[in-house]
Amino acid sequence: MTTESLMAKPGTKGRIAKSVLAGIGAFVVVGVYALVSSLGLGLWTSLGPGPGLFPFAMGALLVAMSVLWLLQELRRPSETPGGADLGLVIAVVVSLAVLAAVLDLIGFQLGMFLFLMFHLKVRGHRGWPSSLIIALAGSVGAFYAFNYGLNVTLPAAGIPFLNSIGL
Amino acid sequence: MDTLNELIGGFAAALTWQNLIFAFLGCLLGTIIGVLPGIGPVAGVALLIPLTMNLDATGAIIMLCAIFYGTAYGGTITSVLLNTPGEAASAITTIDGYAMTKIGKAGAALTIAAVGSFVGGTIATLGLVAAAKPLGELGLLVGPPEFFALMVVGISLLVALAGKSMVKALISGALGLLISMVGIDPVAGAPRFTFGSDNLLDGVSFVAVIVGVFGLSEILSYRKDTSASAVHAPGLRSLLPTGTEWRRSAPSMARGTGIGFGLGLIPGMTGSVSSLLAYGAEKKFSKHRNQLGKGAVEGVAGPETANNAHANAALIPLFTLGIPASPTIAVLMGAFLQQGLTPGPTLFTEHSEIAWAIIASLFIGNLLLLLLNVPLVGLWTSILRVPAPILTALILLFMVIGAYTINFNVFDVFVMIGFGLLGLALRHLDIPLAPMVLTLVLGPLMERSLRESLEISQGDFGIFLNRPISMVLIAIGVLIILSPLLKLRKPQALNEDPET
Amino acid sequence: MPRTRLAAVLAAATLIALTGCGANAGGSNNANNSGTDFPKKGKTIELIVSFSSGGAVDTAARLVQPILEKELGTNVEVVNKPGAGGQIGYTQLTSAKPDGYTIGATGSPSVVVSPLDPARGAKYTRSSFQPLGRQVIDPTVIAVQPDSPYKTLKELLDAAKAKPKSMTASTTGLQTGEHFALAQLQETTGAEFAPVHFSEGASQATTAFLGKHVDILVANVSDVTDLNKQGKVRVLGVMTAERAPSLPDVPTFKEAGYDIEAGTVRGYSAPAGLPDAVAKKLEAALKKAIEDPTVVKKMEDLGLQTSYLSGADYAQFWAGQEDDFKKVLPLVTKKD
Repeated sequence: MTTESLMAKPGTKGRIAKSVLAGIGAFVVVGVYALVSSLGLGLWTSLGPGPGLFPFAMGALLVAMSVLWLLQELRRPSETPGGADLGLVIAVVVSLAVLAAVLDLIGFQLGMFLFLMFHLKVRGHRGWPSSLIIALAGSVGAFYAFNYGLNVTLPAAGIPFLNSIGL
Repeated sequence: MDTLNELIGGFAAALTWQNLIFAFLGCLLGTIIGVLPGIGPVAGVALLIPLTMNLDATGAIIMLCAIFYGTAYGGTITSVLLNTPGEAASAITTIDGYAMTKIGKAGAALTIAAVGSFVGGTIATLGLVAAAKPLGELGLLVGPPEFFALMVVGISLLVALAGKSMVKALISGALGLLISMVGIDPVAGAPRFTFGSDNLLDGVSFVAVIVGVFGLSEILSYRKDTSASAVHAPGLRSLLPTGTEWRRSAPSMARGTGIGFGLGLIPGMTGSVSSLLAYGAEKKFSKHRNQLGKGAVEGVAGPETANNAHANAALIPLFTLGIPASPTIAVLMGAFLQQGLTPGPTLFTEHSEIAWAIIASLFIGNLLLLLLNVPLVGLWTSILRVPAPILTALILLFMVIGAYTINFNVFDVFVMIGFGLLGLALRHLDIPLAPMVLTLVLGPLMERSLRESLEISQGDFGIFLNRPISMVLIAIGVLIILSPLLKLRKPQALNEDPET
Repeated sequence: MPRTRLAAVLAAATLIALTGCGANAGGSNNANNSGTDFPKKGKTIELIVSFSSGGAVDTAARLVQPILEKELGTNVEVVNKPGAGGQIGYTQLTSAKPDGYTIGATGSPSVVVSPLDPARGAKYTRSSFQPLGRQVIDPTVIAVQPDSPYKTLKELLDAAKAKPKSMTASTTGLQTGEHFALAQLQETTGAEFAPVHFSEGASQATTAFLGKHVDILVANVSDVTDLNKQGKVRVLGVMTAERAPSLPDVPTFKEAGYDIEAGTVRGYSAPAGLPDAVAKKLEAALKKAIEDPTVVKKMEDLGLQTSYLSGADYAQFWAGQEDDFKKVLPLVTKKD
């Protein structure tokens, strides 16, 4: 929702940091969305509070507080901590998203193996033996342990060829 | 005296060497299963039920109780060491538990958690022995209006959780409430904020949210310079809490026991409410409240004690009224039914020897949990010796499995990623995360009880003030909210200290 | 750096050790869905209960669960998904993959009626379910507090007629069996109660009644059987043709001069589109479990009369119910 705020550099003194403005903007948008859509749900019915009452109140609160925050910032901008390590955020988030996207396709074992190898070998600069052992244990090992030892089913590959070789 | 005799009889029945072995095995297996991602106490107990099928009623239920204690404690272990809560009730423990891990006090945190669980569980079980019947009736006094008033007290703790800015705390709280509204309206059935997605009809999964907001966002916020040394493995000496830490956690355990025990009596209250409110109470009343969030032992002792006191107190409505107050208790009730026992007051008249053996086994289970886990603390914390990149990879592995197995759907993995990013953004904007978790848990309960109350009063809001219990509770909530205003001067100066 | 290597090996070893217990199970996971290999050993079947724990639906499911496990040779896990009078659980059930690993307890009228009212926005219809078998019929009862001034049904209904909405009555959610019963009562006798909807199920409603937060408990026979034994409720009437065996002293509505019959009918269903072989296996296992003498006996102790119907018959019964409820639906829809 407010991913853009990650890119922001530390705020310069005397001005509102861009990330703070972006955050306030995002909260106002969410709040207004909640206000508008809860009207459609119905605030009050013949039986008492309707499905929209609580979200309406919360939307209103969110908007009001965001405005208050903006006023506070205008009076005295807060210092924001330095931005996160962007490289790390992208590496972790993208690798997780790719893993989740292909999990049902290539299965847990292959997907998690590649994911772990990426984090251990490529990003972590571990040696080949330890990377391979851990990645295998965390993927194939975990798959068998969960599926057969604990009756918790982790996804198998959706692609027939991969599936047929036990992945 | 009768009670004492019957309890001694119960111990005699429970303390056979087979039963002790079952309880020991149950506790050990439960802990291991609880440590694994995606298996909380309910699933853990359900998973291990087949093991108990061939035992007699006493043995089976003793083992189940032990499994239950074990899985709950296993969830705490991952909260503290990996910042990944295994279940909702130990979510709040991650805040100070993981902060303690970061400053090399993981062992102390785990020991305090085990002792707190033991204290809370044992006192609650004593309550069950001493006054089950009146206490059960007490829980019934809480109708929908009182339930709502209790939620008001809970929400009022937002003030305590606020940190530096009330405005930011309210933003966080409102966000949590809005997130909790996603899904089918629990009263009228209308879908809310689902954006047409079938995956959202059941709401946003709480575990995926907290794993994302606490666990993932923590990993994402590592800086280049700190990531490797973010966690210190504790040395042998720091495995045990220091004398100061013991002294500091004692009052927290007392508060936690009170909160967990009281709320556990109320049907429909979940353990996570107890642990959250216990954390809020520490924030509000603890002597060291300004250290909370930075690795204060109170933030572990309070919630963990409350959690286990709640779990044991929830047995009181089961024994006296036949009402299972929480999902875990329901699994236990299932085991009762399998053994041909109907939980309820008739249990004590028709099968009193089994009833007392079960109560005795609760004491034994609590004690075993302590005896088993304190020596193992060193073993668990040794996981922190794993080099940082490997540990990060393993934590990510835990998170993916944990999120996936909630509904066996990758959707929850995406939810976790999204909330990881949201958590990172909130951290960056200096918005506290705890209020969001608080409202996420309390929101649905609050909405439901408000709507039930207004149906009872047929639309009259006066119902909350006409009834003595709810009036007192609401007054307490208002007082908590107003208290910072009453002593405005000094804290204000502290609040403006631009420390972080 | 031998220490890191050692730590890595240790971490891996724990995971591999866990693998050992499952190694013999083999890895054949072919994706064909003829279902001949159903159920795969070690794959858990979820049984979704759309009401909170402790109610009759939940209890019945937990009683059949172990027999189902024995018959199917795999784990069966009862999962409570309460809320919105059953709709949340039914939505979950019907959106699950029809592979037999998700089944659910279905109770009418809630499952029949929730898709009929467009205001609820239900994502399923009758054809989204594949009925597997009916288990019980649980008649509706009306009960008051044991210290209530009303000793008979007539006294209660006359009082409610004289002062409409002066007494609150529990239901297990909007448009559930209890809500219909109240509406029918108003329609035929003119007695009007103020309904309070406990949308998570009977255990919430009963708890509120025991705490005297509602005046009238509208529930099923099974909900009050044990309470009646303990003297915590005074049951005034059963909405059936004949008296309930577990409540022999309670008159039927018919005996009291009111022509009302109502109750909750419960069974088990899967999402529609189950492979035939899977459906057959599940149906057979359910029949075994429902008709198992010890289950029937335990159900009886709880005040539940087993009344088994096969999947096909249950489906037909369901269709009939849909027609009946369509007629009375206007009684319980929102009037704005």
